[in-house]
Formats: sequence, structure tokens, C-alpha cells
Amino acid sequence: MNGLMLVARREIVTQLRTKAFVIGLIITALLTAVISFAPRFMSGPDSYTLGTVNSQQLPLQAAAPQATFEWRSFPDEAAAKQAVLAGDVDAVLVNGTKVLTDGEIDAQLGVLMQSVNREVRLGAVGVSIPALQMESVGADTRYESARTGIAWVLTVVLFMLLFGQAVVVAMGVVEEKGSRIVEILLSSLRPWQLLGGKIVGLGVLGLINLATVIVAGFAGATASGIAADFPPGMPGLVAGVLVWFVLGYAFFATLSAAFASLVSRQEEVNSVLTPLTMVMMATYFVAIYAVNDPTGTLATVLSYVPPFSSMIMPVRMAASEVPMWQTGLSMAAMALALLAVLAFGAKVYERAVLRTGARVKLGDVLRAR
Amino acid sequence: MLEISELRKRFAGGPDAPGGKVALDGISFAVRPGEMFGFVGANGAGKTTTMRIVMGVLQADSGSVSWQGKRLDYDVRRRFGYMPEERGLYQKMRVAEQIEYFGRLHGLSPAAAKKATDDLLERLGVAERRNDAVQALSLGNQQRVQLAVALVHDPEVLVLDEPFSGLDPIAVDALATALQERCRGGVPVIFSSHQLELVERLCDSVGIVAAGRMVATGTVADLRAEEGNTLRVVVRDPAPGWADGLPGTVTVSGDRHVLRTAGGDDQEVLRRAMKAGHVEHFGVEQSTLTEIFKEAVA
Ligand SMILES: Nc1ncnc2c1ncn2[C@@H]1O[C@H](COP(=O)(O)OP(=O)(O)OP(=O)(O)O)[C@@H](O)[C@H]1O
Ligand SMILES: [Mg+2]
Repeated sequence: MNGLMLVARREIVTQLRTKAFVIGLIITALLTAVISFAPRFMSGPDSYTLGTVNSQQLPLQAAAPQATFEWRSFPDEAAAKQAVLAGDVDAVLVNGTKVLTDGEIDAQLGVLMQSVNREVRLGAVGVSIPALQMESVGADTRYESARTGIAWVLTVVLFMLLFGQAVVVAMGVVEEKGSRIVEILLSSLRPWQLLGGKIVGLGVLGLINLATVIVAGFAGATASGIAADFPPGMPGLVAGVLVWFVLGYAFFATLSAAFASLVSRQEEVNSVLTPLTMVMMATYFVAIYAVNDPTGTLATVLSYVPPFSSMIMPVRMAASEVPMWQTGLSMAAMALALLAVLAFGAKVYERAVLRTGARVKLGDVLRAR
Repeated sequence: MLEISELRKRFAGGPDAPGGKVALDGISFAVRPGEMFGFVGANGAGKTTTMRIVMGVLQADSGSVSWQGKRLDYDVRRRFGYMPEERGLYQKMRVAEQIEYFGRLHGLSPAAAKKATDDLLERLGVAERRNDAVQALSLGNQQRVQLAVALVHDPEVLVLDEPFSGLDPIAVDALATALQERCRGGVPVIFSSHQLELVERLCDSVGIVAAGRMVATGTVADLRAEEGNTLRVVVRDPAPGWADGLPGTVTVSGDRHVLRTAGGDDQEVLRRAMKAGHVEHFGVEQSTLTEIFKEAVA
């Protein structure tokens, strides 16, 4: 096995063995599953309990097949009033002419009862009205809410994983530098093998995390039934997200390792990573914005600009439909940026990681030799 | 042969030393296969800097290091064993796993790494701690693990920076034996130390550095010969002025006169002493490495 793989394997084994990783994984899985159930509680199909006093039940079910209606009949108006005030029923139809409610009637229910009542009366005199055909000539918005939900979850998960893993990489680099293990390691490994192994190993752990989220999310959505509302093309989205994660992670983790190699103590990691943290936060905020306005100018433009594209493009893909060529173009740009960052990161790391003690200045490193 | 020639290194100075600090000023020496080389020198003399350059973790400004006639590169150094001055281990990793990991990094197969680890743990007396995290070990035991890391891949050359510091006498013996065995197998061993008696006892040859230069190299016997041996004569109750005209110095304690002299005609000294009084002691005193060292760096 070559050096890089040995280093990667050590990272994976070490992390997998920690309680923090396992517990983190379980919590993420549960959280995602719960989130994918949530829409059901927030906007489940409507259900109404209705009453009649001396009236016929209206054929509401035929007009609103998604909703459920339960009918009760009351002997007189007084009993009906009592039930309405007690909240047992949402509305009571009295004598086929008026409706009792507690406060103003639910707007949807009101419109529904009015129009069905009209239809029934007209039908009774022989007038039949064909239902209106609805047709959208704009974007297909059937899946909009599901898309927005997926994009939301994706933004948060991608951000947490990209940011979290980049910080873990930085701490690992400083651990090795500060404790001087790097001196022994670098007498049997080349710097790029050590750096690459760490990034690959922690990246695999990030992918394990991401896969867990995806599986838990789909399992939850299938169990709760909202998977039925998912837009077509989910496998493509999942594949896209995985590729984007790999690109974004490699980009941020490499920079994070390079910056971390400038310092020798864990306490300094935070401050040396500040510029990078700010870029990541900016990416995150634009991604949140893109969730709500995936076709807007800001989201569209930044979905081509590395490293923003690593989060914005998958969010755009989830929140709206993105043509294949746009994804490809954006990925190519990101891959180029990644190559540049790898060259830069490897150089900084190689020159700085053996210079223990005071914080090494980035300028000195780049100027040296 | 491991050849270190004309190494120079200057560290960039801070605001107080704008010219920088010369750590190595053209240091050269060679270590033969199977030779144990003791590297001694005052604090800040340049031992660590030299060893770090040999191991490639520091770049020299000029000069070269070669092994068997070849300039050192990454592939050659990979077969070296190194113990840095500032110890470094993964604190949370288990002892045996850690040694095996380094064995694998040096190119051993999993089975070979495991076997070498077991042997070393046994030999260095930390076998019962094999499954403990390194941080749970005492400093001396961590040091033994560090040594195991340097030895696990059966290196071709050993470069050890103060390997004996912090070890108890039993561990010192265990390590000494382990190193002597490697030497007998043809491995050149360089180690630095401030424990000069130990260096004197173990090493075939010694190099003394001062201010980045090698001021003396050779076997301890060679260095002694260079230094010149001291003749020590003890005479009881001699006639006053008996040693007038002889080289050396006389110290008097009670009725005993002690003459110390380096050089001169020892037979003449003996005749004069016997004429002067009762000769209680006449012999050549070997200078210790400590004395040679103090003389050399003075
Ligand atoms: N990274 C560095 N930056 C600046 N100066 C350094 C650095 N490393 C070593 N030096 C200087 O180089 C000189 C040689 O140091 P070195 O560590 O090689 O000494 P040493 O012989 O190993 O001493 P000791 O016996 O104390 O371990 C010292 O004056 C030291 O201050
Ligand atoms: Mg030293």
C-alpha cells in the first residue's frame, strides 16, 4: 500500500473508533429522518369535521379529493352552536341556507362550500357546469415546495460537512506539526503524501456522513409519504451532490491544511483559518439566498464562480432545474480552481510544516527559495 | 560509509541579530558501517541541526550528505531510522498500533511490521503496555516507544538525537544492547548525548562539535593520545625541591607530594622520585572523555 493510502487509512480508522464520530453520525441520521417527516405535520392534507341541521350533506369530497370530510348531524341549531363553540366541528350547515362557525370560516372551506352549494342548486334545475381545465404555461411548480425543502436540508448539511471536515483537517495538521511527529513522518513520506492522505481519509469520512444523511433522508421521506412529492431526477441530484461535495471539500480542506501548517498550536488554528472561514460563511449565506431565489441573478452568476459554486450549484440543482451544460461548465471551473489550490496548498504545506515555533508568515513561505 | 561533508547552515536572525545565526560552520565527519559514533558538544553547538539535515527535515545552505557513495535522497532516507530531539508520537494512538504504522510507512508488509513490533516491545520492556494509548505512558516509556519507532523497519543507518536522555539505568542498558546488536549487523549508528561516560563506554568513535565545527574526531583512544596522557607520581616525604626542573605541577597534601606531568622523560621522573623519597604510586592516568571534551571546547 502506498504512503498516501496508509495515512488515509489511519485517519479513517482513528476517527471511526472515536465515540464522537459514531454519535455524531447517529444524531445526523436521526435529525435528517425527523426533518423529512416534518412537512407532514406542518401541512398535511386538510381534514374537516362538518355538521348538518336539517340539511343535506354537500358533495364536498368530489370537489376536493385530497381533503377528508367527516359529517355529523345535529337535532337543532342550539346543539350545533354548542358543538361549534366547543370546537368539535369546524362548520355546521343549517337548513341548507347558512353556515355556523366559531369566528370567520377557514377561507378554503368557505369557498369550497359556497361553490359546491351553488353547483348543487344549479344542478337541481338542470344546469350542469363543466369543471375548468387548469394549465400552466410557465415553469412546472408542482414540486416547488419539495424542491425548496430538499435544497434547504442540502445547504445546511453541505455547509456543516464542508466546514466541519475542513476544521478537522486543520487540527490534524497542527497536531502533527506541534508534536513534531511530522519530523519522523517526513523522513518516510513525502509532504504531498502526508497532506493528501489526511485530506483523502477525512474526505472519505465526510462522504460516509453525507451518504448517511442522504439514506436517512430518503428513508424518512419514504416512510412519511412525502417522497411521492419529490421531483423526478433524484438520482442525478444525488450524484451531483456527491461530486460537488468532493470538489468543495477538496478545495476547502487543502486551503485549511495549508493555512494550518503555518501555526504550531491548536489555539492558533482559529485565527489562522479566519479568512477561509469568512469565505465559507459567505458561501453559506449565498446558498441560503439561492434556496429562495434559485433562478435569480446572484445565484446564477455565483453558481459558476469557485468556490461558491460548490454549494450554490447543488442548491440550484435541487431548487430548480439546471441544464446539464451549466452543471458541466461550473464543475470544470471548480476543478480548475481545485488544481490551482492543490498546487498552492502543497507548496505552502511543504515549506511551512517543518518550521515549528512562532507562526510562519504566508509571505515568507511563498517567497522562500 | 555515511559521509557528512562541509555542512553549513545559517538561520535567519531576528531584529536583534540581523546577520542571522550561524549554526553549522562547515562540519564534516564520516561513520563507517558497524561503527557507533558518539556526537557530543555543548548546548547549541549544532548537533541537532546536523542530524536534522542528515534526515532531510532541514535543508543545509551548502555541503552534502552521502551514504555508500550516493547523495541522500528520499528513497535512501526512507531506510534510515530517526529519533528526533523533540519526541513526537500520536498521543491517542495505541503503542503497538503506532509502531506498526511507522513500520508500514517505512515499507514493511503488515505481517513483518507486526512481528518487528512484537520483538521490539519485548526487548524494550514495554510489551505489557502494547494496547495502552501513548499518553497513558510515563515519559521514559514513551521514549522507549519512540525508539521502537526508529528501529522498527530494521534501518540501514540510525540517527538518534539524545536517545538516552530520560531513561532509567535498566532501559539505558536495554537500549545500549539493542544499538550494539544493530552495529554488529553492520549498521552505522550516530547518536548525540551529554552523558559522556556512556559515550565513552559505548562508542567506537566520537566527534566533538563546538560552535558548528567539528573540533575533534576519532576513537576515544586516539583523542587521548592527542591529548597526551598524564603521568601521576605520588611520593611520601620527599626532600624539598625534589621536582625542580621536572615538567608538570606538584601539589602537596600532608606529607604526600603529587606530581602530574604530561610529556617529559618518564624514566627520569621515576629516578628522581625514588631518590627523593618513598614512591607510593607511579602510573599513567587516562584522561576521561569529559576531560578531553572540556579541553577540546575550551
Ligand atoms: N529553527 C531555528 N531557528 C533559529 N536558530 C536555530 C534554530 N534551530 C537551531 N538554531 C540555532 O542553531 C544553533 C545550533 O542548535 P542545535 O539545536 O543544533 O544545538 P545542539 O547541539 O543540538 O544543542 P543541545 O545540546 O542543546 O541539543 C543554536 O545556536 C540554535 O540557537
Ligand atoms: Mg540538540
